[in-house]
Amino acid sequence: MSEALKPVEHYRALIAAAGPSLPGAGQPWLDARRQAAAARFAEQGFPTRKTEEWRYSSIGQVLEQPFRYRDEAFEALTDSDIEDLLLVEQPAARLVFTNGRLVPHLSTTDGLDSAVSLISLRAAIEQGSEFVDQWLGKAIIDSDLETFEALNTALLNDGMCLHIPAGVSIEQPIEVLYLSVGLDEPNVMTPRNLIVLDRGASARLVEQYASTTDAAYFNNGLTEILLGEDAELEHDRLQDEAAQAYHMSVIHLAQAARSRYRGMVASLGGTWARTEYHTAFSAEEAGCELAGFYFAGDGQLTDIHLDVRHPVPRCNSEQKFKGILAGRGKAVLDGRIRVVQDAQQTEAHLSNDTLLLSRNAEVDTKPQLEIFADDVKCSHGTTVGQLDPMQLFYLRARGIQADTARKMLCLGFADEVLESCTVPAFIERVDQKLQHRLADVHIDTTTSG
Amino acid sequence: MSTGTEQVDELIRQEYEHGFVTEIESETIPPGLNEDVIRQISARKNEPEWLLEWRLEAYRQWLTMTKPEWASVHHPDIDFQAISYFSSPKKKDGPKSLDEVDPTLLETYEKLGIPLEEQKALAGVAVDAVFDSVSVATTFKEKLAEAGVIFCSISEAVQEHPELVKQYLGSVVPARDNYFAALNTAVFTDGTFVYIPKDTRCPMELSTYFRINAANTGQFERTLIIADDRSTVSYLEGCTAPMRDENQLHAAVVELVALEDAYIKYSTVQNWYPGDEQGKGGIYNFVTKRGDCRGRRSHISWTQVETGSAITWKYPSCILRGDDSRGEFYSVAVTKGRQQADTGTKMIHMGRNTRSTIVSKGISAAHSSNAYRGLVRMAPKAENARNHTQCDSLLIGDKCAAHTYPYMEVRNPTAKVEHEATTSKIGEDQLFYCRQRGMSEEDAVSMIVNGFCKEVFQELPMEFAAEAQKLLSVSLEGAVG
Repeated sequence: MSEALKPVEHYRALIAAAGPSLPGAGQPWLDARRQAAAARFAEQGFPTRKTEEWRYSSIGQVLEQPFRYRDEAFEALTDSDIEDLLLVEQPAARLVFTNGRLVPHLSTTDGLDSAVSLISLRAAIEQGSEFVDQWLGKAIIDSDLETFEALNTALLNDGMCLHIPAGVSIEQPIEVLYLSVGLDEPNVMTPRNLIVLDRGASARLVEQYASTTDAAYFNNGLTEILLGEDAELEHDRLQDEAAQAYHMSVIHLAQAARSRYRGMVASLGGTWARTEYHTAFSAEEAGCELAGFYFAGDGQLTDIHLDVRHPVPRCNSEQKFKGILAGRGKAVLDGRIRVVQDAQQTEAHLSNDTLLLSRNAEVDTKPQLEIFADDVKCSHGTTVGQLDPMQLFYLRARGIQADTARKMLCLGFADEVLESCTVPAFIERVDQKLQHRLADVHIDTTTSG
Repeated sequence: MSTGTEQVDELIRQEYEHGFVTEIESETIPPGLNEDVIRQISARKNEPEWLLEWRLEAYRQWLTMTKPEWASVHHPDIDFQAISYFSSPKKKDGPKSLDEVDPTLLETYEKLGIPLEEQKALAGVAVDAVFDSVSVATTFKEKLAEAGVIFCSISEAVQEHPELVKQYLGSVVPARDNYFAALNTAVFTDGTFVYIPKDTRCPMELSTYFRINAANTGQFERTLIIADDRSTVSYLEGCTAPMRDENQLHAAVVELVALEDAYIKYSTVQNWYPGDEQGKGGIYNFVTKRGDCRGRRSHISWTQVETGSAITWKYPSCILRGDDSRGEFYSVAVTKGRQQADTGTKMIHMGRNTRSTIVSKGISAAHSSNAYRGLVRMAPKAENARNHTQCDSLLIGDKCAAHTYPYMEVRNPTAKVEHEATTSKIGEDQLFYCRQRGMSEEDAVSMIVNGFCKEVFQELPMEFAAEAQKLLSVSLEGAVG
């Protein structure tokens, strides 16, 4: 970013420069959206610590980075290069993106039911797909885009575009890998996903953000999910970005009657990572279950924002998040449950537990309930503390070394959240990563309690 | 559930019991706020120069500040120029005994159930009655003086004990703390001052009844309580106000200082005029209350029962500075009609082994809105600090709202923070169980709601527990339909 330009100006310049070469430029329906988003972005500007949603997460660091927008996939990869990263042995389909763009030769959709449409967003736009025009932005209930959403939309480029027609059920998971690779200067990517499950459709989706680069980069992603009546989606996401990376994932979920969503995020990587879930039910008897695990060590901020809305009666939601902080790691959890006046018989629960392993770690947690209906059962519970000395004692009394005992307890703590995931390799991977991270961690044992 | 509807409606419609205006001549500065008004207030109260300077400094600060917008309350803009900042019941000389007090005033107290004549006979409750902005009668002074306790109006303290006032005033809530605190600092007219000397247990419960009177007079009370080493005091504050059509602003500041091993228990029953069914009238209660546990093992406990006011904006807080110090916050907030309450606490843990407990019970009915907003901060040095927070909300009717906004900031790994919050309505099964045993719905609801609040009520001194339960029954019994 040139010194003279303020962050907003810097990004406006990026948008202006990239505009003509973005896919579908010149198509009125798309131009209109991109322009509106660009205007919205310019009008909004970046949030500050005074913005309640950003109270504990400074974005100063993000804005200081002179990110470029280089719209180019890294193609020089073979299957063997990504083999070790993959989580699903026999996926129904696999999409691999590098630096924000689909790499066709690493991707396959051969195993999919022919009625299912899974293509890159870019391809969908270039084919002039009405599907994108019809559904893009529909899952975003407040049609006003937030700053990072607007930035994503203004630079709308590539991502996953999945449509599962009514009654079709995909047994094996679809795997999506976002790889940042071979970057020599700080780059911003804007993955955009559009996932639509029609009535009674069901699928499993496993996403992973990973990297093979040490460079700083910024993934500013936006995912829209629309579930039709009785549709079911299981959605597991592993955020394992590079140590210097910036990561923003906003997920908008709109659920029709009796649909079910189970989402999991494991947030482990990046120097600055934020995941937002915005969920809303449009009709009764739908259910949404969100779970998450976060780990932050030295130089890491991990931030999770949940905005769970109950605008209609008889839906239930459950949010369960756990995290472990070491070194100078910092975590933020802001979870809001909103129940409007007529949403009777809502059941919504949120829990958040954080383990602090070091003296300099910090957690800021803010669970909120906004309830306007009386016949509801809503609760939240939060705990922050260190490893239970009694549990440690129990393990040590059985001859287990202190270090091992601590690690066992940390893994057990994480597994309580991870176990809701139905992809075994996902859980194993997170466990491995966690063990690896814990190996470098000095766990403070200066407890007198 | 429809059988109780009529009773419910009747109770909800019930008019404010304490709504009456006492005709009494007031000596009032005309509405408006500027440096001259502040100089006038200060001059009338015969204040020393440093206090005037402090007020003016606060006023200048206030001019640069903006009204807080974060609370979940809504009200029309307050016209600070339309408020009269000083109103004192007219008197020629200060009354030396109750006989000299204006009989109309005494009548007012009687209507409120605080007959001053009987005060001395009452079991150990000394009342420093603040009628509008100037204390006119203080009782039990001799007995307190024997123990070395200073219990007087803050204006009196400024004259009699300037060194104590100067040392502690503004040391817990600085002038620039927030918008309303700055305003209070600039224009406060009266309030209570308490000093408990070392090694002293205050011989009786101290109590002040605030009462707002005289139309268009905002109340800007200032309370300062200092408990010196190893002393103990329990302070009660209760409020009622006459019915009125215009919104009245009340922006008090309460500062508590607990030194080593001192214990301050501060209890409030707040029952100001909440406005009519449509939300017209009613008091705006924007209060800053903060306690500072300065010494080792200091202990401050806030208990509040908030049933009145159109808007309540109030966060009694504890700064747990001293090692092993302790803070508590017990609250019952009841809203009905169009009332809005945004209340909670802050527990700032700075010392080692500090402990805090938060128990908040919110009950919302009709079109009201009730929010708990709290902060628990564990500073890096708060070794082995503990907090437990419990917030429960009860919703009565489908037009009301209950919100919970807890903030937890933890910067010490040995600290332990626990927070639980629930929101629900009165359980059908509980009601059924009671009714099955022959209780009327009215009694069942009353019992369940009282049970819901019990944890807080039992923290109140006995004198207040009765009033609190009565208030609750007036406000809510049968409000379930």
